[in-house]
Amino acid sequence: MVTKTEDNQLNRLENQVDNGGGEAWEYLCLVRKLKLRRSEKVLRHGLSILNDPKKRSSLGPDEWTLYEQVVVAAMDCQHLDVAKDCIKVLQKRFPESKRVGRLEAMLLEAKGLWDEAEKAYTSFLEDNPVDQIIHKRRVAMAKAQGNISGAIERLNKYLEIFMADHDAWRELAELYVSLQMYKQAAFCYEELIISQPTLPLFHLAYADVLYTLGGLENLQTAKKYYASTIDLTGGKNTRALFGICLCTSAISQLTKGKSKEDKDKSQVQSLAVKVLEKDYKQRAPDKLPQVTTALKGLTLSS
Amino acid sequence: MAEDLVLDTAIRDWVLIPLSVVMVLIGVLRYFVAKLMRSSQTPDAKMVKEGQVILRARNLRAAANFIPTKAFRARKIYFCNEENGLLFVPKGQAQNPQAQMFSDPNMAMDMMKKNLSMIIPQTLTFAWVNFFFSGFVAAKIPFPLTQRFRSMLQNGIDLSTVDVSYVSSRSWYFLNLFGLRGFFSLILGEENAVDDTQRMMQMGGFGMDPSKGLSAEKDNLDITQHDWALPNFEQRAETVLKKLVS
Repeated sequence: MVTKTEDNQLNRLENQVDNGGGEAWEYLCLVRKLKLRRSEKVLRHGLSILNDPKKRSSLGPDEWTLYEQVVVAAMDCQHLDVAKDCIKVLQKRFPESKRVGRLEAMLLEAKGLWDEAEKAYTSFLEDNPVDQIIHKRRVAMAKAQGNISGAIERLNKYLEIFMADHDAWRELAELYVSLQMYKQAAFCYEELIISQPTLPLFHLAYADVLYTLGGLENLQTAKKYYASTIDLTGGKNTRALFGICLCTSAISQLTKGKSKEDKDKSQVQSLAVKVLEKDYKQRAPDKLPQVTTALKGLTLSS
Repeated sequence: MAEDLVLDTAIRDWVLIPLSVVMVLIGVLRYFVAKLMRSSQTPDAKMVKEGQVILRARNLRAAANFIPTKAFRARKIYFCNEENGLLFVPKGQAQNPQAQMFSDPNMAMDMMKKNLSMIIPQTLTFAWVNFFFSGFVAAKIPFPLTQRFRSMLQNGIDLSTVDVSYVSSRSWYFLNLFGLRGFFSLILGEENAVDDTQRMMQMGGFGMDPSKGLSAEKDNLDITQHDWALPNFEQRAETVLKKLVS
């Protein structure tokens, strides 16, 4: 997670660096620390440091870290020749290094030579079966080839060992959703909620999945999670507000004719409708009529 | 009385300063020797997994109330069942850490390396100080201290009449041994500091049994009651929305 102060610092440095104000190295360090994807900027500013022998040597041993960072950024931008040159420099310095070997394998991957990259990664894994980065690369490779089910299989294998890695769970959840395997995705989102219970994002995604699954019980649960999202975001999440309305109407359609157990639940919905209308009035008045009719349709059908 | 003792400047030049310099040099040397001998060990997959299982189970316990009852129960059984639960350790399988240590020569080797790099220079310097400088009064601190500090500052001088603010050479050695940590972290870099005190503490805690962690976590999870928190959230959402509307 990026905290607010870090974000501010990053924006300040980014502005400064873009306008040629120096401190490029500090900016690159921050990007690396926060694991952000700013490949183009990293490539530009990193190369400008690397091409200047004086600046480069002033970094000391950090020079090689910068090389690595630039290689990855260059591959992300498809400047494969730049990446290749940098890898050559690194190779000269660290001939036997596995870390450089990994970069080479990534270059193969970037060129689309899947089989060779796969071979390289497999041999790395034989040496060190608990290398998280290589496991993740293999998942990414399967995904890049469009082999989603293969990626899922590899991720599952990875999660068998590193089961507390919530980023992996999130990736798996999204993969399952893309294959419309909602039950499995729901499990992953439960896992994410467990690991970070106060993050509304996962509550919302979980509710979405449950709503898509359908069925009375799931809908009721989904509604609760939409409610918790509203609570955690302070009612600012439009999707959750719509979700509440949709869930309520779906539930009432399912329970039509049966005994009306809880009347009070509709209150959340009416409140959500009011908040939505207010929001649209403020921010997008031209769309207000559409929203009102859509919401009316929902309440009428219930 | 304290003014009676005059310290020769030769003591400063030939005892106090050489002692400190030697201590620093030995510290630096030890750092490089340790760096040479350090073997990069790859963590064992099983150990990693056990750590991750414990982490995940702990998360589950902490946030149990945020997932539906059905989901919680499924996970609890997954972790705690007595056949193949992740946290369940069969009785006979709980490995004795000592036995484990001997079965893995790498581990013993690593320990020995660490110990060698710590103990040998220490004994040597201590013997050296003892042999050459025993009984020296090496320095005087500029403020008076109570009698309690005598054993700390005047190790090696068995005179009870000497003022406590005088420091014996052997005590100076000990002060350096434990006090140079900050200095090392300055010259060798933050995390590289040769930290004796910390290392000694590590020695004491060595050999913690991972399976103990697993079964402790299992017990904790077993007694965790599930009380789904989400129904309350609907009311809370209502109040939030009410505030927004009004």
